[in-house]
Amino acid sequence: MVDITDPKRTKQAASRRDFLKAGLLGGAAVAASAGVARAAGDPLITEIQDWNRYLGEGVDVAPYGKPSEFEANVVRRNVPWLTADPVSSINFTPLHELDGIITPNGLCFERHHGGTAVINPADHRLMINGLVDTPLVFTMEDLKRFPRENRVYFLECAANGGMEWRGSQLNGCQFTHGMIHCVVYTGVPLRYLLEEAGVKTNGKWLLAEGADAAAMTRSIPMEKALDDCLVAFKMNGEALRPEQGYPLRLCVPGWEGNMWVKWLRRLEVGDEPWAQREETSKYTDLLANGKARRHTWVMDVKSVITSPSPQAPVTHGKGPLVITGLAWSGNGTIKRVDVTLDGGRTWQTARLDGPSLPKALHRFYLDINWDGSELLLQSRAIDDQGLVQPTKNELRAARGENSIYHNNGIQTWHVNNDGVVENVEVS
Amino acid sequence: MLKFPKSAALAVLGLTALATPSLADGDAGAGEKVFKKCAACHAVGDGAKHKVGPELNDVFGRTAGSAEGYKYSNAMSEAGQGGLVWDAETLSTYLAKPKDMIKGTKMAFAGLKKDDDIANVLAYLKTFSQETAAAPAAVEAGETPVETADAGAAVEAAPAAEMVVEKSQGAFGLGRKAMPDEIAAWDIDVRPDGTGLPEGRGTVAEGEPIFVENCAVCHGDFGEGAGRWPVLAGGQDTLRNDRPEKTIGSYWPYLSTVFDYVRRAMPFGNARSLSDDDVYALTAYLMYLNDIVDDEEFELSKENFTSVRLPNEANFIPDDRLSEPHYAKGIEPCMSDCKPGPVKITARAQVIDVTPEGEGDENSGGGID
Repeated sequence: MVDITDPKRTKQAASRRDFLKAGLLGGAAVAASAGVARAAGDPLITEIQDWNRYLGEGVDVAPYGKPSEFEANVVRRNVPWLTADPVSSINFTPLHELDGIITPNGLCFERHHGGTAVINPADHRLMINGLVDTPLVFTMEDLKRFPRENRVYFLECAANGGMEWRGSQLNGCQFTHGMIHCVVYTGVPLRYLLEEAGVKTNGKWLLAEGADAAAMTRSIPMEKALDDCLVAFKMNGEALRPEQGYPLRLCVPGWEGNMWVKWLRRLEVGDEPWAQREETSKYTDLLANGKARRHTWVMDVKSVITSPSPQAPVTHGKGPLVITGLAWSGNGTIKRVDVTLDGGRTWQTARLDGPSLPKALHRFYLDINWDGSELLLQSRAIDDQGLVQPTKNELRAARGENSIYHNNGIQTWHVNNDGVVENVEVS
Repeated sequence: MLKFPKSAALAVLGLTALATPSLADGDAGAGEKVFKKCAACHAVGDGAKHKVGPELNDVFGRTAGSAEGYKYSNAMSEAGQGGLVWDAETLSTYLAKPKDMIKGTKMAFAGLKKDDDIANVLAYLKTFSQETAAAPAAVEAGETPVETADAGAAVEAAPAAEMVVEKSQGAFGLGRKAMPDEIAAWDIDVRPDGTGLPEGRGTVAEGEPIFVENCAVCHGDFGEGAGRWPVLAGGQDTLRNDRPEKTIGSYWPYLSTVFDYVRRAMPFGNARSLSDDDVYALTAYLMYLNDIVDDEEFELSKENFTSVRLPNEANFIPDDRLSEPHYAKGIEPCMSDCKPGPVKITARAQVIDVTPEGEGDENSGGGID
């Protein structure tokens, strides 16, 4: 092994560098005097580019790496008019810029009700109390001594698409569908923790509570808690991001995002639900007849074309065009996605590519040869339970326009002859 | 820890009381508490950014309407152009009745009623203003003895209970047994059947001033809501309307939710600061605003709580989405000739134009609640 800190070697290298530098200067002088003709072709190829000549930054410049500066527009965005205050608000995942099924941690949409809590993991506690044999308190260190699992799940806000009930309104799939992300979680199955405390036989419900300034709470039926819920501390291999509940969050796969309590500090076992604010006044679905559905936990079968879309227009003209999008279902896997180019008169089955995991995003493609004519693009997902994604008008007929939540209607994008894309609805 | 005898501290107070009202009266420590009322909209301190209102670092000496990157009301910008500079005097006047001083200010806050609160919050803000960084230290030094005299007594009266660590008896033996005081500190949830209600009571009349002081800045004096903050009252018989108004009286199924939520998360930015009696009184006042009681002397307590029913309780139904026609199983989706003729566009997002990058920031229909 060569020790690069060896002073003798450094000195040798320096003198060699001096020699080379002298040679380069000489060469440049010759080229300039000769007045060489410009080569024909793309100057990006025929001319030597800066990045090809000069050295880039070293390994110690960015101890935690960031995306390229040329990707600076790929960010979460807020819709300022939507909420009273950015502290209790939401931003949106830039789905139109992403591919595959995994959302990068820094682009996962945020929804919190009292701002991002900042908690040192050494100061975090998880309590289990209520109808248990032994109420327990865990530290983060305790939790990391239970057996762990890794699972890929989507997390969708129940209000995703909530602004579109009355008609197409926001021009971009980031805003119409961006309250969703999908990452691989590492965590402890919730049932291990509940078994450690010993759930009493009348313990039928679980209240999950966050440590943030909203002290977020939701009631979860015990059957779900013991089935596939996780208490997670990692996402995509690294610690949860602060805005995603660092150091600990609940995963409630396939169910509405509000239940995935962040900054999870307490689990209470009870015999009835608690009727908390977020399961009575909010996250209940008002119907046209004045009744309201509650406990609408499962996120329905749904899909959207992410490109082309209003923020991702077709810029290359006629010819090969990749149509791609995402599909998901809180019931399980996606069995099939159909795509129409003519607003729903004829459909063709798209190609699913990448892993097909239950309660995770699925990526689909339809590769076409675009003739430059107008398109009315839609996608329609079918899940492994055989449930078919409905149209927006079917949903309105069944529920009215004031449900806010659980809008999984088929999205239409209009592509004009120039490749400009708009959010529309069709007959 | 008592730095001087209490009589000396009182003498200091006596002297300052003789002086004309000024910042010297203010207690930055007490002002920090008062500032909680402001913190929902204003940030101050390291890294403070504009929120609903502008950040308040170096507000002393700042020309009104001049904080970079904050979008002021025209009225405030004009006041600054007219020469208004924030100092102890101008801020005192403004904070007493903001809308009297700057007609058209965006600040929804009604004002601080107590002169002491104003002096204290200004002393607190002054600790974040460089202009006279030395002054707050003097203020603190003058006030400290009085505060520690009270705090000292409280600490002696309540020695910390000893922590007994009992191991978990579960299969993994991980974690430890939770102690009763710990469970009591966190388990504050209340159910519709009254489980979890603490001892306590409060009347409508007692709730009103608490509401005006802590809640009205966002929710309006009558629960009508300011800006996009939640409307708490009214909206009866609107649930079938084109634009339903979902309030405690018109929509919420259970009163326990009001009590539970106010106690755990309100006021916004200063959670867990109200006493149980305050929460009973506020809940009673919200019942009054929603015409559920009409007697201002009505007292809500642990004892009578579950006798109250909200009007919309019966209108909540279980999830029956799967019974909707479009989910009827066994129907293979159509693949060709699915619509009779060419498809027409019936609605367009560009007509509405509320997408953020389109510069359109006007309010629009729909929301995420």
